[in-house]
Amino acid sequence: MDRILLRFSEENVAEPITSQVILELGIPMRIVTATINSMGGDILVEVPAVHLKKIVKAFRDKGVVVKYPKLIEVDYDKCFDCGACYALCPVDAISFDEEHSIVFDEKTCIGSPCGLCVDACPARAIKLVEQHRNHPK
Amino acid sequence: MATPKKSNGRSIVEINQKIKSGDVQVLTAEEMKKLVESSGVEVAYKEVDVVTTGTFGAMCSSGAIINLGHSDPPIKIQRAWINDVEVSHPGAAVDLYIGASMMSETEPFEYGGGHIIEDLIAGKEVELRATSYGTDCYPRTKLNTTLTKDDLNQFYLLNFRNCYQRYVCATNSRDEMIYTYMGKLLPRFRNASYSGAGELNPLMNDPDYETIGVGTRIFLGGAQGYVIGEGTQHDPTDRFGTLMVRGDAKQMSPEFISGGTFTKYGTSLYVGIGIPIPILNEGLAKKTAIRDEEIFTEIVDYGVPRRERPKLGKVDYATLKSGKVTIKDRKIKVSSLSSLKRARKIAETLKSWIENGSFYLSAPAETLPTDSVCKPMRQTGEIVFVNSVAHAAVTCSVDEDIKSVAQRIISKSVNHVVVTDKGGEIKGMVTSWDVTRAVAEGKSRLADIITKKVFTTTPQESLEAASRKMAQHHISALPVVDRNKKVVGLITSEDIAKLRGR
Repeated sequence: MDRILLRFSEENVAEPITSQVILELGIPMRIVTATINSMGGDILVEVPAVHLKKIVKAFRDKGVVVKYPKLIEVDYDKCFDCGACYALCPVDAISFDEEHSIVFDEKTCIGSPCGLCVDACPARAIKLVEQHRNHPK
Repeated sequence: MATPKKSNGRSIVEINQKIKSGDVQVLTAEEMKKLVESSGVEVAYKEVDVVTTGTFGAMCSSGAIINLGHSDPPIKIQRAWINDVEVSHPGAAVDLYIGASMMSETEPFEYGGGHIIEDLIAGKEVELRATSYGTDCYPRTKLNTTLTKDDLNQFYLLNFRNCYQRYVCATNSRDEMIYTYMGKLLPRFRNASYSGAGELNPLMNDPDYETIGVGTRIFLGGAQGYVIGEGTQHDPTDRFGTLMVRGDAKQMSPEFISGGTFTKYGTSLYVGIGIPIPILNEGLAKKTAIRDEEIFTEIVDYGVPRRERPKLGKVDYATLKSGKVTIKDRKIKVSSLSSLKRARKIAETLKSWIENGSFYLSAPAETLPTDSVCKPMRQTGEIVFVNSVAHAAVTCSVDEDIKSVAQRIISKSVNHVVVTDKGGEIKGMVTSWDVTRAVAEGKSRLADIITKKVFTTTPQESLEAASRKMAQHHISALPVVDRNKKVVGLITSEDIAKLRGR
């Protein structure tokens, strides 16, 4: 599965674009997070990797901005592998390897709606990547 | 029982001779355990001279003493700040102690004394600001300068409580998330945290302190340092021993000394300590074979802010290191606050120092106390708890109509009515404001205006903690509930104000 971030504007947010794409392509998509209102917003969806190109094209054709999001940034120079972040992750994106190094699975992380790990890090090594929304003020 | 007298024993002098000749046999504590498991204590004792240990964790009772040299004209510093963190001036004129938990006045909770120590060790320049009252011999009253570690005469890490033998596992019973020195604890036992290296911990491998004491040479922050005695709150009979240590910070490395930040709690210093345990007798070979499965600690509810926090059970370090622990019959994730990876690196580094002849063992001039106790504070002032202030709560049930609740508010002349079920368990809260709004909005069902998520207190909570809760959540009353969520009273901000005005 691959993740894409769909960005809706004030102009197109009222249209049922996501449902249209799902119906037209017949491909199921999992909505991971949605931060959206009448001014626009973002939906983070998980789609089957084999259909990625097709889905991205379908959304772009309907005027939706599609991004491959980086939701979280970890500064491995600062991280000293304590693991204070580990138990806080609600989607199990943080784990230990055999050497007890912390491993972030960026593909599982849900980013800014969560962020529970960020202020739990004593080394301040974790940052959420701000997803710049383009809806008007 | 081990019988160390049967063998001739091994002395530190002999071990040091072996280090010199390059024949010394060193294992890390983790390697030692495997050897004992596969070949037995006797073989391990014969083969191994030294076992190295390690730990890397937040140790708040740490700091550094620095000497600045004299300015011209000279100053007798009264107050001083480094990078906006107040540092204390405990001595004559230009000696400062950088306490790890002192926080920046401009960036509190983010930058503190621990970070200054890390920055200095890393070679960074820091800003010093100082003031004084001026004397005949020290006329200067103000000072502003920048410094690096090279400018300091002395820069010694001087930590008064480090290297806890083990620590508790923390969790939180409250309905709200709390930020503690044990990290961020989610509501209703949804996570837990622990600290310590378990079977790799220095004191755990010499639990009777046969070889550790004043003058023991150790790995401290990436350099050689010394144990200078037992740490404060040393509690040997409970297996909560601690150390006081000292080392030349100019030689240390930021890899093993790092500033740390605990959100809404404060700043700290992560300290790396490794202690070599000389295997002087078979008993020590056996003791250094201790496994995580044999090291137990208590699971403690940090949701109750009292000195004696409720204990919820016991857990061993093997379970803790697995990342999952069972609390209240539920498996939850448990975070380590200390770094096992770095603790291992410390044990490995110390091993290589001994093997390559750059680190010699020292016999302590005096070993650590094994029978001292850690007393609680003597308190002469009166501490007020919720149970002495709370009064009976006016209650109602969910199926009552708003009118009858409104009548009760008037007849009892209160602002808060606690909603309970038939068994008296808390289900919500209604205020006079909620009723007023219901009238304004034409609502008649009580269920529509109840606040269901209610912050509560307990009879045993201190009044200070309860009023902190009210201030934090901008609320004016807290229902008092017992362990089974049954309402036993109510405490309001008015009660607290009355008490203060007394």
